[in-house]
Amino acid sequence: MKFDDETTDVLIGGYLSTDAAQDDYKAVLASGGYLHGAVVVSKDLQGNLSVEQTDHMVREGAAGLGAVGFAVGLFAPPLLAATAVGAAIGAGAGALLHHRTASKLEEQAGTTIPVGGAGLIVAYPHSAAGKVEPAVTRAIQKVVGEAEGHHVQALKGALADAQQKMTESGA
Amino acid sequence: MSEPDRTKLPIRRPPFQGVSNKTLAGSEPDWNLIGHPEPPAGAPNVLLVLIDDAGFGNAGTFGGPINTPTYTRMAEGGLRYNRFHVTALCSPTRAALLTGRNNHAVGFGSVGEFSSGFPGYTATVPRDCTPWPRVLAENGYSTAAFGKWHLTPDGQQGPAGPFGRWPNGWGFDYFYGFLGGDAGQWDPCLAENQKIIGTPAGFYDKENPYYLPDAMADKTIEWLHGVRGQDARKPFFVYFSTGCSHAPHHVAPEWADKYKGQFDQGWDRLREEVFARQKELGVIPADAELTPRDEAFPAWDEVPEKLKAYYARQMEVYAGYSENADYNVGRVIDAIDELGELDNTLIIWIWGDNGASMEGTITGSFNEMTMQNGIPLSDEMQLQLAERFGGIGAWGGQMMDPHYSAAWAWAGNTPFQWGKQVGSHLGGTRNPMVVHWPARITEGGALRSQFTHAIDVGPTILDIAGIPAAAEVDGIAQEPFHGVSFADSLDDAGAPEHRTQQYFETMGNRAMYKDGWWLAIKTPRIPWVITPDALRPYAPGVWDPDGDPAELYYLPDDFTQAHDLAADHPGTVAELRELFWAEAEKYKVLPLLATLSAFFGILPPRPDEVPVEYRGDVQNIMSGMIPRIYNHSYAISADLVVPAGGAEGVIVAEADHLGGFSLWVQDGKLTHTYSMMGVFIYRQQADEPLPAGEVNVRMEFAADAAKPATGGEVTLYINDRPVGKGRMDHTVPIRFSAYAGMDIGRDNGGVVDLSYEDKKPFAFTGTVKKVVFDVKPHLSVDDEEELHAAAHHGDAAHGLSQ
Repeated sequence: MKFDDETTDVLIGGYLSTDAAQDDYKAVLASGGYLHGAVVVSKDLQGNLSVEQTDHMVREGAAGLGAVGFAVGLFAPPLLAATAVGAAIGAGAGALLHHRTASKLEEQAGTTIPVGGAGLIVAYPHSAAGKVEPAVTRAIQKVVGEAEGHHVQALKGALADAQQKMTESGA
Repeated sequence: MSEPDRTKLPIRRPPFQGVSNKTLAGSEPDWNLIGHPEPPAGAPNVLLVLIDDAGFGNAGTFGGPINTPTYTRMAEGGLRYNRFHVTALCSPTRAALLTGRNNHAVGFGSVGEFSSGFPGYTATVPRDCTPWPRVLAENGYSTAAFGKWHLTPDGQQGPAGPFGRWPNGWGFDYFYGFLGGDAGQWDPCLAENQKIIGTPAGFYDKENPYYLPDAMADKTIEWLHGVRGQDARKPFFVYFSTGCSHAPHHVAPEWADKYKGQFDQGWDRLREEVFARQKELGVIPADAELTPRDEAFPAWDEVPEKLKAYYARQMEVYAGYSENADYNVGRVIDAIDELGELDNTLIIWIWGDNGASMEGTITGSFNEMTMQNGIPLSDEMQLQLAERFGGIGAWGGQMMDPHYSAAWAWAGNTPFQWGKQVGSHLGGTRNPMVVHWPARITEGGALRSQFTHAIDVGPTILDIAGIPAAAEVDGIAQEPFHGVSFADSLDDAGAPEHRTQQYFETMGNRAMYKDGWWLAIKTPRIPWVITPDALRPYAPGVWDPDGDPAELYYLPDDFTQAHDLAADHPGTVAELRELFWAEAEKYKVLPLLATLSAFFGILPPRPDEVPVEYRGDVQNIMSGMIPRIYNHSYAISADLVVPAGGAEGVIVAEADHLGGFSLWVQDGKLTHTYSMMGVFIYRQQADEPLPAGEVNVRMEFAADAAKPATGGEVTLYINDRPVGKGRMDHTVPIRFSAYAGMDIGRDNGGVVDLSYEDKKPFAFTGTVKKVVFDVKPHLSVDDEEELHAAAHHGDAAHGLSQ
């Protein structure tokens, strides 16, 4: 199945630990579902960034996720729904959404992944959703965006859709 | 010399019995003048051991899963007491234990962190209720306390004191430990006598790190040897109060790993196992019934499979931590034995001060302070945060401040219902006690079931020592003890039960015991839930305490409180309810829920918002005494001298990577790191290096709004010029740390930013002349009042978790 023949899905997962993101990344790769690409980005407690991505990313070249920019609003778990004193506090997710540009993956991830956090992005044809999505079990926050269209445009559209959903669910 | 009057303390100096002439010619000295009071002949040494936050069913000695060979050795050579009672909260039990009086009557209806304007809740022991360690000291005992204190008000834990409520003021010649409700066992912020000495240097030793339980035993033995080196006969009193097994649950893996796999069966099955062993041991009656699980606790079978290892490790660490406490108490006992004084040392060892703690909520936490700051985290989130700091294999290590699930606590309180904070039921009010004293106890290994309470311990010790209760101390008439001696039960299994009635009250949960009947009135609130919705039913004018459901148990027939007889005995319910109100008035329990008064708008006056200045290298400011920057806009300004070659290091830092802030210099650049309880970690850095010479640096936080945990913008300045900025979406609403202190010019103990951990304490290489905190008021008076209320809610919430 070709990349531009059908609806493209992009799944974004947010994590509080690198281990959890790696668990889901490996589970996605082992899911048997066709992937356009997958990338996991994490930042350790010293602030060092690390990126791991599938070979698909390399093969897809300009269509790879890195080229369309790393999703922001990636890490916005619905924490602080209440304090001990009971005040409702929004998580303020997606504050950096407008930063979405076509800049390099590392640059964007460097500003959007918090210390100690991690994110996962997986792109796949919609027909593979039944295998890919259930493999992502540890994400604190998980959204799936979708878009139809051609190649990079479809990926961008799905990513934007996912980001929007992330913003809405994280607030 | 005639027997002195020991009822008025200090004991008066005897009149001069010699002769003083104009010259030495014919003069005769009276050597009694330079003596000191001695206790009555035969007064034994006393070792009082108190384990923290443990339940009736934890120690193996009472059927629990935790290996406690020392405790068992003491029990086999002494006595097990299976109907000993406490108050369901830390400070209150300690106050009752060390004053011999009901906790509310001495100002400890709640914890030391929470002082209220009602007599039963001041956290300030009145002068007419002198603690009995002072009585022992004045009567010739050498006295020392080691470990957890938790009886000094939060705002009095600095060099300005006052010191009357520090351990020395309670009658201890020597103190080594921590003043608050808990401490890291790896990185405590310690006090020695009347000085905060901070985190021990051994914390920085990677090969052989400091560990408080080991150090407590070391210090105790050192002190005993010192006393004996000076005086071979003077009796000693040691109060050995472990930080274990309160959170943070810190212990080396080799202790926790002893229990690998031993809790995989879960808390439901564990309770059944413990219950069976308790019957085999005979520490509960053969006809006792195991109480069922309340729906507030999940069934183990409902825990997702992928999370069971996470939960099981929590209990493995707790068990190893507790066994280590037994080991270190054993070292002290062995040292006494090595001195040849074990036979003449009365050892009273209480395993738990309030039942096991349910404050970890259902999930448990990688950081005990997440609960107190109201951060709702699911168990998956907690697991991931644990992974962030090393994984469940590191649970118990230096990188986390963990607390286990409330459900493990419930299992630890087998066979009873509930636990800590629930003063209405035995899970929070009954703990094991062992008494060992070969000189008098001849029936080693026997069981005693007299109804006893923490307030009875002091009167018992004084009774055994032959020392009367003080009627007057420092010229102040003393309130008589509320406790009574149970000394006759040491050598008489049939000794009468002296305590025939006792009230209990903690957080509105209350009980009245009389002649075997126990009236239990628990507020329906789940103990670890303090949300507005949960508290609303208890607001002034809304709550009718007599409308709370009442349960009635007859303990001689129902050891575990398994059968509620309230419906069958309404007259007894009414009688005990009336008696409770009378006792509550008598002992200053009223108003009920004074501990939560801040939640209902009853607040102390607002403090002045003046800048706070620290000059030089002030260190180890206790966490409850740092400037109240929470929920406000604020600025931290520092006057520095930077050498020509540049400088690095910490300018000011509070607490550690699990909650705190640091203003520091990295590669010559001003940097600010803020850890929101280890969940969110923010860092901002200047774009340019610091210049040499006299420099003013400043960090400003502009809060988004006057609300708890507000986000806001950070701006860094050098000589009033902005040089960097960043955003913090969430800030700490209540308290960074239960124990870690603030330092000027360095970051003692655990560090805030782990990127400089290998340089800790990372002292500033230039000069910090002055650091100023300016907590900026919000625009409206209403905002200020709201935040003031929030701050005191925080105090109360902290109190709920200690």
